[in-house]
Amino acid sequence: MNAIEAINISKEFKRGIGYKKVRALEDLNLEIHKGEVFGFLGPNGAGKSTTIKILMDLIHPNGGSASILGKDIRSVEARRSVGYLPESPYFYDYLSAEELLWFGGRAAGLTKRAIAERSEMLIDKVSLREARTRHIRTFSKGMLQRAGLALALIHDPDVVILDEPMSGLDPIGRKMVGDLLVELKSQGKTVFFSSHILTDVERFCDRVGILVAGRLRMVDSLNNLLSDGAALEDVFLREVKAAGGGIEV
Amino acid sequence: MSTLLPIALITYKEGIRNKAFFGVSLVALLLLCAGALISIMVPQEMGKAAVDMALSVISFSGLLVVFFVGINLMAKDLDRRTIYMVLSRPISRSQYIIGKFIGMLFLIVMTMLFVSLLAIILLFLLKMGYPDRFERFSWSLVLLAAFLSTLGLVLLSSLSILFASFTSASFVTSALTVVVYIIGQSLGDMKTLVETPQSFPVGISPFIVKLVQTVYYIFPNLSLFDIKMQAAHNLSPSFSYIVWTALYGLFYTCVAITLAALIFKKKEVP
Repeated sequence: MNAIEAINISKEFKRGIGYKKVRALEDLNLEIHKGEVFGFLGPNGAGKSTTIKILMDLIHPNGGSASILGKDIRSVEARRSVGYLPESPYFYDYLSAEELLWFGGRAAGLTKRAIAERSEMLIDKVSLREARTRHIRTFSKGMLQRAGLALALIHDPDVVILDEPMSGLDPIGRKMVGDLLVELKSQGKTVFFSSHILTDVERFCDRVGILVAGRLRMVDSLNNLLSDGAALEDVFLREVKAAGGGIEV
Repeated sequence: MSTLLPIALITYKEGIRNKAFFGVSLVALLLLCAGALISIMVPQEMGKAAVDMALSVISFSGLLVVFFVGINLMAKDLDRRTIYMVLSRPISRSQYIIGKFIGMLFLIVMTMLFVSLLAIILLFLLKMGYPDRFERFSWSLVLLAAFLSTLGLVLLSSLSILFASFTSASFVTSALTVVVYIIGQSLGDMKTLVETPQSFPVGISPFIVKLVQTVYYIFPNLSLFDIKMQAAHNLSPSFSYIVWTALYGLFYTCVAITLAALIFKKKEVP
């Protein structure tokens, strides 16, 4: 059983006054193995966030199906073992980081004790100890990102889906996220993350997928891709160039 | 329930800590004091004026909380994508809607309790100071009026959730809720007017009568929940009126929340 499986996923959006159809994803097939760190790459507007939102059942595909740890993504149970960090996360203004984690833990069915233990550990891990009782509306972008990471991990999920986890972080924050990724990998967790920062992908990923204009151009292990001495940036640019422009219908 | 409570609690906390909530509380206090002063200026009708004003402030404050805090609790969730932090949990769309509604319910009940308490203290002080002006006065009617007003606001909140379930901007939700509130307040009077031909010097077409009657059964009749005048004049509504109004509110609220849950199941939150 794969950690994440998407079969022939396609997605169209209707945009503008004339409801012009824009195809965001086309026949996406993806298999993420258990315990691997998978980097999901693509230029802006390629469909990375759309894919992730479909996996989290925030938007619905026009065709195809997907599952997480064998459970259909449309079922509530599929989200029990997933931690999700959205791109530019926003939280309730008047909650504190502690309350946010309490909510995440309770919603996942954790006991009071488990919530307290996991919260303490994660608050230290994302360096929010001093700010843990402050209202989130006073947080900087980087602090929001770190609070979001803690929320994604509060219920100790087996699969972690991160949409641009490094965005908005300073070098210290990026190192912290990197350390977390390494730790999750060592714990045997599956990490699926999208990023524009190719050096981060090179550092942490076992395999990468390159999505361009809604089509998955390639999926391969980093070792294979870089075996001939090429840099990931070269591979990425080559695939983007080969794909050409958008695919509006 | 184990999933509903966390959603309800964060919704309630977000609402009660909102600066707008404190603003509304302050406005309520000032209006109550102003109402007390005005009622002292009309000594002949002091009891009636004081009760009428106190109940008006209670329902007005509740309305302000619904419009400025309550509606945003769900509509802004969609606007600002804070909904991701909820829906990415093992929480179904229906649980989200019901949890949000319970949170709003807590907020409205707390607001009404707080403002009612202030109003009761002021009425008590006035009654102590001018006992002969409060001969036709009933605490139970004041409390009943506040209770029915609360039910009306709960119904209005459930409608705001219904609107938020199919609109994508908080402004549209707010606008629709205001429109329904205005229609709901005047619907009873409009129906009575068109069904009583002698009230108009010119004839009303049967089409208009049918239209108003149809609208009457679609939109909630919010004027049913307003018994301020009866309370001010110490005229107790019948027991059946109270029971039927409460059941009407409950039924309408359940229908609105059920519809919202059904619609929201299909909604995309891109």
